[in-house]
Amino acid sequence: MRFRLTLLLWLLSDLALFVGSYALAYFLRIGWIFSSVFPFGPYIAVAVIVAPLWLLTLISTRTFTLTRPQASTENAIGLVSACVVGVALFALTYFFLFDLFFSRLLLIIAFALSILLTALWHLIFERIARGILWKNPPAFPTLIVGVTRESMRLIELLAKTKNPLCPVAILDAQGTKEKEIHGIPVLGKLDKLEETLVGLRITHLIQCSDLEQSLNLLSACRTRKITYLLLPSVLGIVGRDERIESLEGRAVVMVRPEKGRYALTQ
Amino acid sequence: MIAFILAGGFATRLWPLTEKRAKPLLPLGGKPLISLLVEKIPPEIPVVVSTNGAFAKLFETWEDTVPLSHRVRMLIETSEKEAQKMGALGALADWVSQERIDEDILLLTGDNYLGFSITHFLSTYKKGIPLLAAFDIKDPHRASSFGTVILEKDNPTHIAGFEEKPKEPKTTLVSTGCSVLPREILPVLMEFASAHPDNVGGLFEELLRRHIPVECFVFTQPWLDIGSFSSYLEAHRLVVGERVLLEPGADVDHAACSGSVTVGRGSKVENGSLHDCIIFEDCLIEDCVLRDCIVDDRCHLKGMDLTGKMLREGTVLERE
Repeated sequence: MRFRLTLLLWLLSDLALFVGSYALAYFLRIGWIFSSVFPFGPYIAVAVIVAPLWLLTLISTRTFTLTRPQASTENAIGLVSACVVGVALFALTYFFLFDLFFSRLLLIIAFALSILLTALWHLIFERIARGILWKNPPAFPTLIVGVTRESMRLIELLAKTKNPLCPVAILDAQGTKEKEIHGIPVLGKLDKLEETLVGLRITHLIQCSDLEQSLNLLSACRTRKITYLLLPSVLGIVGRDERIESLEGRAVVMVRPEKGRYALTQ
Repeated sequence: MIAFILAGGFATRLWPLTEKRAKPLLPLGGKPLISLLVEKIPPEIPVVVSTNGAFAKLFETWEDTVPLSHRVRMLIETSEKEAQKMGALGALADWVSQERIDEDILLLTGDNYLGFSITHFLSTYKKGIPLLAAFDIKDPHRASSFGTVILEKDNPTHIAGFEEKPKEPKTTLVSTGCSVLPREILPVLMEFASAHPDNVGGLFEELLRRHIPVECFVFTQPWLDIGSFSSYLEAHRLVVGERVLLEPGADVDHAACSGSVTVGRGSKVENGSLHDCIIFEDCLIEDCVLRDCIVDDRCHLKGMDLTGKMLREGTVLERE
């Protein structure tokens, strides 16, 4: 519920921000008046009509995934793309409704403002949202499976960035002697899985080792509708150059060490 | 003499197979592992099986299956969780104390597969001298996970030294889960167990420290400590051999089987192939290629290719 309200607040604030960016662009271009030559009313009405479409485009870029940092290349590309779509839709809608084109500079200003203000707001909102979702009890209590150096680094990173996936417990099939990792208790081996999933109301499970148990962990997660995540290092992929791709519609993990991240070649 | 079988562990390393059953109750060649052990004990020796509270009912059900020729009695610890368990040696000492045992004890661990004859082992026992069965594992790395036994050079049945899980083992001869503790050493057992309730191997170190002679029975027949997925499969290969073992109500239809395969009660395998697999009860395996897999009760697999997997009870994996 906390997550849904936060997300709803974010989406609504983005809608307002888009309309606000276009309103600000109007005043910056026309001056701080309501022009009778280029009336504000129809202009802002078009911005209101286009805003949901712009938001849908932004949603499709997965910008609102709270587990992903806002300050990332993926998000920047997604935001620019959505704002390009937004300004194009605005110009087209205005033309269809009023049979008019208007100042190209106004469109450029609106486009730039929608990018800048949205990016800035997303950076601010990310901090607010993470604070809300991390607050005890966390919105997404996460179970870490496996004590490895990789999992230790992950736990530290999640805590440092206050990622919504908040580790609350660790299980280790090998029976590590560690009692806690960065303040997160090690509750035992995998025989404690069920009681941990139920007792701590786990919403996410991150497998960091014990590859042979992946099917069983996945099965437990499916049964309890828990989101399962797998660290690529469990598969021996440690180069940070992996990603999930589609091969004839089927998901595959792709590692392409030598080519650029956005290369289109095979 | 009384046989005392240690079966009170929680076998957390064999999760998920041991999630709802104790390790000695894992099926091996159509019967529970502990049954194979009990059948090797001469019938005139009464057997006490020590287990924990969590698996008590399962052991009681198993007890009903033991042939009447063997006198088996359950000893239930109160512990329901691993953190509460009193330790193997602690459980033994508690039983000795509670029931004022004053006779020799044949001590066995319930999760070991012993290839040798216990009757032969007991025939080498000299009254009053502790006897330990040892096996040459021939691998120093693996030996470091067990208690290692160093024999006297001029008397290879006498133990000169015992090291519990040494980092750098001096020998690959390891202690197995089979020994005789004469009534004379029970006071030492009680004293040692109070300080080290979970260190069975340490008892032999203690005996040697007190200059009490300990004899060794070295055997060459197979021995397996079933503590992991791979050792369980290895024991299965050993017991079942190159054949397909179908339990009552099991059915294999148009499926190619090779190596050691057990299909448990009520399980059905259709099409596909199995190699070195243990399928537990009431499973449905359709068009799957399984290799070195253990599939727990009530799993439903369809169109899957799996290698080296241990599947949890009730797992459903279907590929259209």
